[in-house]
Amino acid sequence: MSTKPVDMEESPNVIERSLAPLTAHNEFVLEVTNFSVDYGVGDNMVRAVNDVTLNLSRSKVLGIAGESGSGKSTLVYAMTRLLRAPGVISGGNVVLNITSDVEGEGAASVNLVTASEKELRKVRWSHVSIVLQSALSALNPVLRIGREFDEVLKTHRSKMTKSERHARAVELLKMVGLNEDRLFRFPHELSGGQRQRVMIAIALALDPELVIMDEPTTALDVVTQREIINELNVLRSRFGFAMIFITHDLSLLVELADEIIVMYAGAIVERAGASELYGSPRHPYTLGLLNSFPPLHGARSELVGIPGSPPDLANLPEGCSFAPRCPYVMDRCRRDAPPLMNLSGSDRSVACWLHADDASAPVPVELARRVAATAPGVTALKDRK
Amino acid sequence: MSDRVNSPVQLSARHLSRHFVSRVPGRFLNAKHVVRAVDDVSLDLVQGHVTAVVGESGSGKSVLARMLARIIAPTSGELVLEGTPIHVGAKRTLDYASKVQLVLQDPFASTNPVHRVRHSLERPLLIHGASKSDVEALAKAALTRVSLDPPDRYLDRYPHELSGGQLQRVSIARALCVQPDVLLADEPISMLDVSVRLGILNLLKGLCDDEHLAILYITHDIASARYLADEIIVMYAGQVVERSRGTALVDEPTHPYTQLLIASVPDPSDPTSQSSQKIERTTFAVAEVGCRFAPRCPSAMEICRTTDPPNFEVGEGHLSRCWLYAGRPEAVVEVALPERRREGESTKT
Repeated sequence: MSTKPVDMEESPNVIERSLAPLTAHNEFVLEVTNFSVDYGVGDNMVRAVNDVTLNLSRSKVLGIAGESGSGKSTLVYAMTRLLRAPGVISGGNVVLNITSDVEGEGAASVNLVTASEKELRKVRWSHVSIVLQSALSALNPVLRIGREFDEVLKTHRSKMTKSERHARAVELLKMVGLNEDRLFRFPHELSGGQRQRVMIAIALALDPELVIMDEPTTALDVVTQREIINELNVLRSRFGFAMIFITHDLSLLVELADEIIVMYAGAIVERAGASELYGSPRHPYTLGLLNSFPPLHGARSELVGIPGSPPDLANLPEGCSFAPRCPYVMDRCRRDAPPLMNLSGSDRSVACWLHADDASAPVPVELARRVAATAPGVTALKDRK
Repeated sequence: MSDRVNSPVQLSARHLSRHFVSRVPGRFLNAKHVVRAVDDVSLDLVQGHVTAVVGESGSGKSVLARMLARIIAPTSGELVLEGTPIHVGAKRTLDYASKVQLVLQDPFASTNPVHRVRHSLERPLLIHGASKSDVEALAKAALTRVSLDPPDRYLDRYPHELSGGQLQRVSIARALCVQPDVLLADEPISMLDVSVRLGILNLLKGLCDDEHLAILYITHDIASARYLADEIIVMYAGQVVERSRGTALVDEPTHPYTQLLIASVPDPSDPTSQSSQKIERTTFAVAEVGCRFAPRCPSAMEICRTTDPPNFEVGEGHLSRCWLYAGRPEAVVEVALPERRREGESTKT
């Protein structure tokens, strides 16, 4: 593992290592600090995840939004140590706080970055599971669905008998709304939505505390997506697992997540509660993303979205990586990269010089809105959960 | 927006159908199953207007686009290009290809990875009879039309050196360089990053408004159809279930399927969109008799299971294929639409 220092600017506004005081040890299921991931080493090194710090509370949903190449998938693969070479974790810690499980292990904190394979095996699936984007390539095409369940349970719950395993598989399928005859089907016999449901059922097989969803609905059409999201909400209220949900669809996240992180070029550019982010974005990129979705209501007007192209990680500009596409760019943005700053009077943070305490210009009005009254639905939804 | 009355219909489809025959797995010999991928679809692509076709995967919208591009031959029905009926059984001619061009969903799959952008643009030009001395200038002009400026920077790049948005612009430029009248765009933005999608949509809108192309925009994203289109058509299981001029279909959806589609779109600004509507789980059965949506329809009636509904007129130029509107006048699509379009002109802004 390379020991390249993680450069973080020392400014009074720089966000503290943990976003909340670490009073209760188990308050967070996952604590990520100053986490960086590179692809390759030496001259060809590309930093895909740059100094990410985040905490995830128990039973909460963290949404990660960003376009392709923003490092959102790399982040979760590296966090769970699933990332393969040439991906290298180049700094930081990922601490998973686990509670006792059925195998009789007590509560513990595991640093996933330094954990051995043996320790990882204990944690994976039992405590952290992952649902991948393409269920067709994640499920083995020559195995019946039942075998997939059987193998997980055999490996991790060695005391279960064959009939117990079968009963558990049936129970899991019922949970996601599939008939038990699906156990005898091959993946190609199921539709895209059914396959994704199977993936979710397998991920929940060992009752994990944290489920990571990497664009689980991107390949599905909108009606199936809605069904799966509803399903997830029901399952979450029943089992109380925490969830990291990755997608490029910000409006989906606003509905689903408690807190949203927006990533751009490998770094967090904004972190806020879902309704705050929707009602009052603070980073120009977040505003651009929200404006990129044509509305379903109201007058039709020309939308502009975000000009330019997504960044090339091997060739990032000096200063803020969003500066070349930013409509509010200032001289300072081209010189210095903004750190993730806590906004005064709130628990949200943003990496933009517009919001620095010593900013020369006032914050543009569209980035300074209070939480708008346009998002009552979001809070209503949260209550429903 | 240009004047609808004087805008000629560039390409129309009349009762276009495509059926695929497949064997039924596990049954013996003659057991065959006919999939009606596209069933009796009529539409007009008008100069300077965008027609959007919305539907979920498997609704037949891509097959429809390929039939309009004459890559797939229809089982029945006819195509009329600029007033001239086309014999659909005949091979696609160069002349047809120079007037109707197709842009595909995934730009990385639809451009040749071992050739430079130059090759992708110059090859169609040469095939369509441009002289070798002109092709470079024409290719550059095509790149400029899709806002890839300066064109020299892109001409000698390989596809992997460009971002998805840039490459989709290249494939639109490739379609444009033979100066077509009709552009068929099959999900042109669904593979692209959110931040560049609007750029492509605005590009299509510009081509339609400024260069008066007739554009068919195929999508599963009903919000983008509303943003772009002058006429929206919703397809379900190969049939047109609802169509309207302007945004009437999105603002006041009448067909239960359209209502389901719209309710499924994540929309944080509308609290009623998710909480009040309980959506039934998808059953993938498509009814063989009666309304095809009946097995999934929350308001299915007895008649829906036995008789296929005709199109009922639920508003000005707004047709719904649903028995719920049986009191309204029946409309016959292919005769009615061009006529109505003229009458309705005054109401549309």
